[in-house]
Formats: sequence, structure tokens, C-alpha cells
Amino acid sequence: MLSPLVVVIVWPRSAGPDVKSAAMRKQTLKSWRSTEHSLIGSMVLALLAAACTWFVLGPAIAGYLVAIVLLIGLLLASLIMMRVLAGARRQMEAAIEGRATAEQRAIEALRESEAQWKEVFEHNPVMYFMVDANGVVLSVNSFGAAQLGYVVDELRGQSVLKVFFEEDRDLVLKSVDVCLTNIGQTHSWEIRKVRKDGSALWVRENAKAVRQLDNRLIVLIACEDITERKEAENALRQSESYLAEAQRLSHTGSFGWRVATSEIVWSEETFRIFGYDKAPSVTLDKVAQRIHPDDRARAQQTIDRASRDGKDFNHEYRLLMPNGSVKYVHATAHAVIDASGDIEFVGAVTDVTASKRAEEKLHEAQAELAHVARVTALGELAASIAHEVNQPLTAVVANAAACLRWLNRETPNLEEARSTVESIIKDGDRAGDVIQRVRAMVSTTADQKVQLHVNEIINEVITLLQHELFSHGVSLRMELAPTLGSVLGDRIQLQQVVLNLVINGIEAMQPVMDRPRELVIRTVQAKDDQILVMVRDCGIGLAVENADRLYDAFFTTKSGGMGMGLSICRSIVESHGGRLSASGNVGPGATFQFSLPLYQEDDSL
Amino acid sequence: MGRSTSPRNVASAEEPIVYVVDDDASVREALRNLFRSVGLRVEVFGSAPEFLQSKPPDVASCLILDIRLPRQSGLDFQTDLAKAGIHTPIIFMTGHGDIPMTVRAMKAGAVDFLTKPFRDQDMLDAVTAAIERDRNSRNEAKIHSDLRARFVTLPAREREVMARVTAGLMNKQSAAEIGVAEITVKIHRGHIMRKMAAKSLADLVRMAQTLGMQGDAP
Repeated sequence: MLSPLVVVIVWPRSAGPDVKSAAMRKQTLKSWRSTEHSLIGSMVLALLAAACTWFVLGPAIAGYLVAIVLLIGLLLASLIMMRVLAGARRQMEAAIEGRATAEQRAIEALRESEAQWKEVFEHNPVMYFMVDANGVVLSVNSFGAAQLGYVVDELRGQSVLKVFFEEDRDLVLKSVDVCLTNIGQTHSWEIRKVRKDGSALWVRENAKAVRQLDNRLIVLIACEDITERKEAENALRQSESYLAEAQRLSHTGSFGWRVATSEIVWSEETFRIFGYDKAPSVTLDKVAQRIHPDDRARAQQTIDRASRDGKDFNHEYRLLMPNGSVKYVHATAHAVIDASGDIEFVGAVTDVTASKRAEEKLHEAQAELAHVARVTALGELAASIAHEVNQPLTAVVANAAACLRWLNRETPNLEEARSTVESIIKDGDRAGDVIQRVRAMVSTTADQKVQLHVNEIINEVITLLQHELFSHGVSLRMELAPTLGSVLGDRIQLQQVVLNLVINGIEAMQPVMDRPRELVIRTVQAKDDQILVMVRDCGIGLAVENADRLYDAFFTTKSGGMGMGLSICRSIVESHGGRLSASGNVGPGATFQFSLPLYQEDDSL
Repeated sequence: MGRSTSPRNVASAEEPIVYVVDDDASVREALRNLFRSVGLRVEVFGSAPEFLQSKPPDVASCLILDIRLPRQSGLDFQTDLAKAGIHTPIIFMTGHGDIPMTVRAMKAGAVDFLTKPFRDQDMLDAVTAAIERDRNSRNEAKIHSDLRARFVTLPAREREVMARVTAGLMNKQSAAEIGVAEITVKIHRGHIMRKMAAKSLADLVRMAQTLGMQGDAP
């Protein structure tokens, strides 16, 4: 970047002095030659004077003669010296001549190069400015002027601030000041310039102040148009900021993990999620540190497996933050094999705490609603439940009375009394069971998934429904598969589903007068590891126009219904990984059916 | 009067039986236990058809019936029994909130109803009363059928005489109405009193009433 500057520095000073020196050299040569000629002339004159003296005065004046001869000798010696000198001079002259030619050539070359440089200077896609200490443009190349939409003359003599935006001018002055206080040092900065038409361009300016011969300070500036780069940079920055913003908004950070070097790189958002300060790289230890102790082993396992297998992975775990709060995160990573055959994972980690909490809230609300529906249903079953408690209670009271009588006999019959007490215990237990069952269904205990048997659940519910079936004149046929695998589920919730479906079936058959009201409950183990439970009635069936709305909350065809039953049933069944469906029978009535996945021992939660 | 079996003792010769029909085994067995503890003979059934198939012997008895029976309600069963001519007194056991059914049952002739759970004494009292009632009605039925049996041995002329005598006519009046001599009426009357085993005229009148002869006078 300095070379153009050098050119700028050299060029203004280079006119004239070399031409002058060549002329001077010529002059020197000329004077030298005339001196030689006058020496030879004076020597000839001296010899002629000696000869004349000889003829006029004769040998008497031998002393004069000697003086004359000495003079001649001296002149001769001078002449010889002259010759020698002339030889040397000729040599020197030749040398000088040669040098002059070389110099001439150099000058020409220089001139040519100057022209070239000037050409470069003028048309180089670099803008050159030379401004004085006050910021007045001393010179500018035509490219530079053209870039800004001016011609050179429009700028020369003007303040350089003219080509800057108002708001950037302070920066310009400050930067020029820095140059002026650090003479000879190059400074560079990036700034916007404004064109004549008002449009902007980004430039990178390299500037340095130099002292001119006349001791004036000038600042030489070369600037290159970096608008494109700047735009690309801006676009990149913007896209980066968009990405960062998007990451922030979606609570999703990204990460890269080079398995071979254990090098982990995080995005800003990932740092934020993990609650660490930004750092160039992260270690697996640091990651593990944040993972909730209860989830650490599992997460570690996933990570270990991934590093071994090099396969995509995704897992969910909790973070325990230093302030004791808990975050739920979901991490998903894609394995990439780089050129050197090493595995690198590229992934995203999402803070799903909010949705987890919302999910929990929803779940709570659903559980609450289910609870209300359950209690409501049980309220409707009050007579049935009372009956179920009353039966064993009746037996208890009757047995107790009998027992007393066995004991009060003249000879107490202890054998009878004992067996009666045993019956009392049995019946008391039975009453207790019913109450326990009702209490469980009224309880708000949420989600306790255990291994259980569907047939058991159905039987438990049916004991509460005997009275209901009776008072509605419904006969029940149970076709429970004798060997049925178990499912993983919440007993109360599944009981609620069965309860709802049976009550629905009973109610659907209310208007039926011309045929027996029969309700069938069937369980089947399907081939695809599903257990099917079917509740078939022979009631009014399903109206086609209602089929879609069957599971909508608050949709009901019953005058006294809240319309929550099927909607709750469906959400319960789905939360167990099953499906609830309804279909019209070939004959009268409808069949509601739900599936539950078979529990497999090796199911990991 | 030389007959060894007095009509009042007909049914008491055999032990009365308490029948229990309830679909709930616990209740069934508890009742069996209770009645056994007071020395009553008891037979239990899980359903109405089972009871009917058992062909109950002709002894004083009562039937304890759960008003809610599977398939056939206690009320329907009550109707069936009446149709079949079985008049065993019925005590219904009801749950709570079965008032309308109870009313229907009582109207149909149930002797009592007890709400589950019931006091043992209430049940035993009801059973005792019911058995007593059954015994009485069985006795009455027996007396009636004995009378009827004796009555059918009377020839037509004697029946005519009996009708007039028990209606309060004098012998002479009866003879005049029938168109026979008074002495003939007297002889018939003697036969009647003997054949009907009547101790007095008043006794004969009561028998005629039992036989429903008041309106029988031709």
C-alpha cells in the first residue's frame, strides 16, 4: 500500500535538476579544452621570443639564454603535462560522456516510469488524495474524483470534508489529526464517503502525514472502495445477527463437536442456555457439570454412544443452574464425517423449559378436568356405589347378629360363631375395597404409570356399575381375552376411560324399547403389540354429521351432558400411546374402541 | 269330630321354611346364617328360576326377595309367582332410593319390605309374621278344601236343605219351599250335620259362609 505513496512523494520533485547537470558537464569540458589550447600557444610564443633574443643579442647573453631555455623547458614540461592531462581528460571525458548517456537513459526511463506511474496513479482503482493540514485537497487522482462523481478540479482546493457525511466528519478530522501528530506513520480506517449524487460508498483509507521540502505538512491518503466487501460483511453480520436473534428468540443454540479433538464450539445462545460466559471453546466436562445430577448418567451415556458410533442423536435432559433453577433442554445432533475421516457433530440445543412448563400446566389442567369429570361421573353413580357398599354391609350386619345368637345359645356354638366372624371380615373387606376404589377415582393423584392388566381395570369399573346397568335395564356381556399382556398405565385414568365408555353405552341404549339392551365389553390382544378394548352398545348409534365432533370438548348430544367425556378419554388414551376410535355397528348401535401398547419388559422409559 | 287332624294343625306339622333369593352370595349366606342361628329352616337361591325349579314343599314358608335381581326384577318375579298360584308371602329387601318399587311391591301383596342393611330383629319379626300369615292362610285353605270336600259328598237335596237352613229358614219354611214334608227336612238336616262335621247350627252356618253359600240359595 505504500508504493503508490512513494510514487506520490517522488513525482512532484523530479522535474528539471537532471537536465541542468548535463548542461553543466558540457560547459566544463569546453573550458578544459580552451585552457589546453592557450597553454600550447603560450609555449610557441615563448620559443619564438627566445630565438629572436638569440639573433639580436648573440651568445653573449648566454645567461638569458639559459633562462629562456629553462622557460622553454618549463613550457615543454607544461605541454607534456598538458598532454598527459589531456589523455586523462579524454578518458575522463569519455567516462563523463558515457555517464551522461546513461544518465540520459535513466532520466528517460524515469520519465517513462513516471508517466506510467502517473497513468497508474490517475487510473488505478485507488483514490489518492493529498490534503494539507487544514484538510484542503491539494490533489486527487482522476479515478478518485470520478469515483466520487466529481472531476478533479471540482475537488482541488476544496475541503476534503466535502466528500464525507456530515455525521462522519468529526471522525475524519480526528483521524487526520492522528496522522498529523504521528508524522510518517501510516494509519488506516474504514469510513463512508459521499458521492456528488449523495450516495454512499465505503472506503478503507490509508494515510500518512509527510513534511514537504518547504516544511509544510501534507497528508497523503490512498483509499480503496470496500463497499462490496462492506456490504458482504454487513450482509454476513446481519445474517449472523438474524441468526443470533433467531437463536435467542427460539431459545435454540447451536454447537459443533469434533470428537477426535474433544473440541466443542458453542453459539452465543448455547452459552446463554448453559449459563456460561462466552468462550472460544468448551469441554465436555463443563457440559456435564451443568446437567442435572439425575440426568447426568443418562446424558453421558448418550454422548458416549454417539462418540463411539458416530450416529445422529437426540436427547432431552435437565440443567441445574447455579441459582438452583432447572432448565429442560433438548439436544439434537447430526454426525458429519470431515475430509480427514473424523466425526464431527453439528447440532442444536433448545431450551424447552417454557414448553415443558406449558405442557405440565396443560397436563395439570387436563388432569384437573379429568378429575372433575370423574367426580361428576361418580356422582351420577352414587346410587350404584351405595348399592355396592350396601351389599357387604348388609351381610356384615346380618352375620354379626347371627354370630351373637350363636354365642348367646345355652351352649354357645363357637364353630358357627367363628365361621360367621370370618364371613364378616370378608364382607368388611369387600366394602372397604369398594370405598377404596371410589376414593381412588376421586383422588387427584396424577399420572402414576405402572404395569397393569386391562381386564382387571374393566372388572373394577364394572363392580361400580352394576346398579347403573340394572337400573337402566342393560345386560352386560363380558368377552375378556383370558390371556392378555399387561400395559403400562395409570390405573385411575384407564378406569375413567372404561367408565365413560360404559356409561355412554348405557345412555345410548336408553331410548331402545324394542330389543334387549345389551352392552358388550371385549378385550383382544392384537398382532401389532396392541391391546384392544371394545365397548359395543346397541343404542342409537352415531350420527354421521357428528362423527367429526365426537371428541370435541363440550360437544354433546345428551341433554344433561357436559360433553367432556370423550374428549378426556381420548387425551388419556393418547397420553398412554394409544388411540380411541368410534364406529357404527353393522346392526344398531356403536362401538368405541381404544388401543394400548403392550408393555414390554425392556421398554426403557 | 273323630278326625285326628284338626284343620289348625295341618301346616304346623312340618317345619316352616324361609326362602332367600338374592344374587349376592354374601347377603345370601349371611341370611342363611342368621336364620340358622335362630333355628329356622332356610333355603337360599341365586335367582328366581333356581327357586322355581326347587319345587318348594307345601309347608308354611316365606320368601325373602331382593327387589333388584339380575335379568328379572323381584317385582316381575312376584307377578309370576302369583300367576303360578304360589302365594308364599314375600318380604322384599330394597336398597336406598327404591321407594317407587317398594310401593308397587306392597300393592302387589308383599307382606313387608326391609331396607338393606336391616336390623336382624326386624328381619326375624318380619319372617315370623310372614310365616304365621302363611300358616294361617294355608290353614284356611286347608279348612276350605276340607269343607268343600265334605260338601261335595252331599246329595243335591241335602245341599238345597243346607242352603235354606243356614240361610235361617225354619224347617217348615224350608220344607214348604222345597215341597217336601217337614220331617224329611229334619232327616236331611241330621245327615248334613254329620257329613259336614258341624257341632251346631252356628258351626254349619260359618261353614256355609266359608263355602260362600249365602248367595247360593236357589
